[in-house]
Amino acid sequence: MSGWLTPLWVVGVILLSPVVGGLLIGLDRKISARMQGRVGPPITQPFYDLVKLFSKSTIVSTKMQLVSVYLYLTSVVLSVVMLMLGQDLLVLLFVLALGSVSLILGAFSVRSPYSQLGAYRELLLLLSYEPLLALFVVGVYLATGSFMVRDIFKMEQPLLLTLPLFALTQILVLAMKMNKSPFDISASHHAHQEIVRGILTEFSGPYLGVIELTHWYELVLLLGMTALLWTNNLWGGAVLALSSYFIVILLDSVTARMTWRWALRVGWGVGIPLAVINLMTVCLERFRAG
Amino acid sequence: MQLVSWLAGSLLLLPAFAGVLCYVVPSSRLRNGFILLTSLALVGATIVAFATGALEYSPRSGIWHTLVTLADIGLLAFFAVMGWKRKSPLIIALVLLQALMLAYLKFGLKAQVDVQPLFVADWLTIAMLLVVGLVGSVVVVYSVPYMTEHDLHLSSASNQQPRFFLLLLLFLSAMNGLLLANSLYWLFFFWEVTTFCCFLLIAYDGTEECWDSAYRALWMNLLGGAGLALAMVLVYQQAHTLSVHDIVEGRANLAAASLPLAFLCLAGLTKSAQMPFHGWLLGAMVAPTPVSALLHSSTMVKAGVYLVVRFAPAFRDTYLSYVLALIGGFTFVAAAMLAISQQNAKRVLAYSTISNLGLIIACAGLNTPMALSAAVMLILFHAISKALLFMAVGVIEGGVHSRNIERMEGLFARMPFTALVTVIGIVSMLLPPFGVLIAKWAAIESSVKLPVATVMFVIGSTFTVMFWTKWVGKLLSISPGSPVVRMERLHPLYLSTLLFLAMGAVVFSLMVAEVLNRLVVPAVTQYYGSAGFASDMPVATETGWFPVLLLFIVLVLAVVLPLVFIRVRREDVAPPYLCGEQVEEVPDVRFRAARDELEEVVIGGHYFDYLFGESRHNRWMNAVAVALLLVMFGVAAL
Repeated sequence: MSGWLTPLWVVGVILLSPVVGGLLIGLDRKISARMQGRVGPPITQPFYDLVKLFSKSTIVSTKMQLVSVYLYLTSVVLSVVMLMLGQDLLVLLFVLALGSVSLILGAFSVRSPYSQLGAYRELLLLLSYEPLLALFVVGVYLATGSFMVRDIFKMEQPLLLTLPLFALTQILVLAMKMNKSPFDISASHHAHQEIVRGILTEFSGPYLGVIELTHWYELVLLLGMTALLWTNNLWGGAVLALSSYFIVILLDSVTARMTWRWALRVGWGVGIPLAVINLMTVCLERFRAG
Repeated sequence: MQLVSWLAGSLLLLPAFAGVLCYVVPSSRLRNGFILLTSLALVGATIVAFATGALEYSPRSGIWHTLVTLADIGLLAFFAVMGWKRKSPLIIALVLLQALMLAYLKFGLKAQVDVQPLFVADWLTIAMLLVVGLVGSVVVVYSVPYMTEHDLHLSSASNQQPRFFLLLLLFLSAMNGLLLANSLYWLFFFWEVTTFCCFLLIAYDGTEECWDSAYRALWMNLLGGAGLALAMVLVYQQAHTLSVHDIVEGRANLAAASLPLAFLCLAGLTKSAQMPFHGWLLGAMVAPTPVSALLHSSTMVKAGVYLVVRFAPAFRDTYLSYVLALIGGFTFVAAAMLAISQQNAKRVLAYSTISNLGLIIACAGLNTPMALSAAVMLILFHAISKALLFMAVGVIEGGVHSRNIERMEGLFARMPFTALVTVIGIVSMLLPPFGVLIAKWAAIESSVKLPVATVMFVIGSTFTVMFWTKWVGKLLSISPGSPVVRMERLHPLYLSTLLFLAMGAVVFSLMVAEVLNRLVVPAVTQYYGSAGFASDMPVATETGWFPVLLLFIVLVLAVVLPLVFIRVRREDVAPPYLCGEQVEEVPDVRFRAARDELEEVVIGGHYFDYLFGESRHNRWMNAVAVALLLVMFGVAAL
């Protein structure tokens, strides 16, 4: 892609990603409802919710919150764009981490016990998923010899064959980042088990809407990263990403919230070992190939 | 020739000379004038050195060698006396070992300590000189008002400032000398001078705790000195030269993974406070804040990493190098983890320094062109940010009378300028697209040849995010609707130095392409052939691209636009949620507790001491670190 197509592509990505993300969330709610024997809202419900949030009056506690939500949005959008432009995965990860840090700082910026407790819990979650994401990037490098997303598309074989365990760690990451049970410790995605919504306690109205929107982008980003494991044709990647999302929804419905210690233990005791084992096998294979 | 000798003179002798002047001048006003002038001159000299580029210089007179030998004897005698006073057999043994090695070198091997040229500045040296010259001078200027305040609080009424500034300026001279010296013998001398200055500066306040810390720093650094002395003897035995550049460029007949190089690395590791030698740097925070700022940013610890980075080409592609990468990587992770559990701001900074130095050592151990570029970049950017942070904490301490992060809650409402500067410092260590992160990116991308190191880098980086974010969170935590913040009153020298470094952190990150092309690439290319960076695009490698400017623009807009364009009306401000029991008036953060009594909201920070605390981890961490050191020597000896 070159010349005038690139800006068009960027604009397209920025506009279409939330549509896809919102629909996926709607699907999520529908499937969750059916699993619980309810009819559930229409698939377009998240869009109505968003419109409603944006039409509410703005109430904030400190001005830092504004900066926080917009920086969060910007950096996640930026990382989606970088993914779609085939950019450096590691830089993408840094930018994404900036977004998480920004939201956490927004929660810290109000002297509120609930929001700050949520912020600490989000930090602990970050401690669990951030290494997994970074190790995923390292795995991609070891398999392809490049950090650039666009170089993955040059591979003849799907990455899944060399990095099978990372499909599992990506599920963990997805569940943690999307605040799904049993990892919904900083706030719950579908507020089915809480009155005070952790890190989001002090955000309301349009600003909560921005955060919701950012979540949609984030979903697209994470599913896109999972889809990198199967870039040889579109359907392979889509099936892989959607089935991992389905597993996350299933987990969300059948489990309850666990403690942050447990989440940390899963991230470090299950996720990191899986990732490291996969890295080791890739290294061994490379070593054997000379 | 004329310029070069002037330059060498002003870099090596000017600070020391000014220090002596400070010591003898009775008037404090005159002394402060001297100090400011000296700092300016030092900045000028380093900029001239930068503009001149690579240079060589040998003094014509041979008397300097004799003077250095005499000074060495004096220093060792001083250390021995201090060891005797403390009744520490360890210190005396280490001093004796060094003396023995020097005597053997002089009389047993009849070593030629003169090396032609005696002083060499290549681009690595110049990059380091800039750190010492710019950041070091700023710290010296900052300490002028700081020490005046500090002495007011001190119980002993005696005015010790002349001695303080003598040591501080001597420190800068020694650091410059250490960077310029091409003879190991001279390098050893400057090395000992930094140990000497560090020891006395830590002990400055004279309390029991200060002396304890000072002695700990002394024996650990003397151990490094002993390593350096041993290395010197072994190098001379094998290669019959003491020329640093001959060894580095492979002209000397020295085996790549040999014992002398391992001893050199040991010296570097002690001085750069790598585990298990990190104790001295933690203890060193009892010293006045400018000393910490100097030790952590531009001098002392940077001498340690400089030594390792300097000699890295000599042990390229050896097991010694890989073990070094593991030692650094381990320290990077371990120190970052311990930092999470700390409440004391200075201790957090100290652990962060140790951690970053570990990353630098690990990069030197990875020993690829790009890893070395990352190491040099880290040295540069870390120096600016860390000096800034220490200085800011010093100012905060003056305002809130505590170093405890818990006491800094909502500092933005009380000391907005200082809080802002602190946040800039932290953010420049933590977030893209600032220089430290760009270096970290290069480090991770170059570490893939040793995936164990990559895993360490990745995990350590996550810990880093955690402890910095918690701290910034505390600074930002404000009660809604607090009265309009007004800028605090600060001494103009505080204001200017903090502003200078904060702007430096931002501007140098913005100009990272320039920094790379003018400093880092030349410094690495001269030994490695390339620097691992593609030259056509700014900050790109063969396998990745960091679009710095683009990220800067977008992210700055994301911060600035909401601040400028969104007005928050008074009636839009709501108090925090307290289960409906809050008192309704903004900015009151009180709630109705049992029996309708009004209570203040108190929010304590989390430090997860039971998870990441020192008491839980110190023992095994030290054991692992010692084991890694033994492996390093084992690998080198085989």
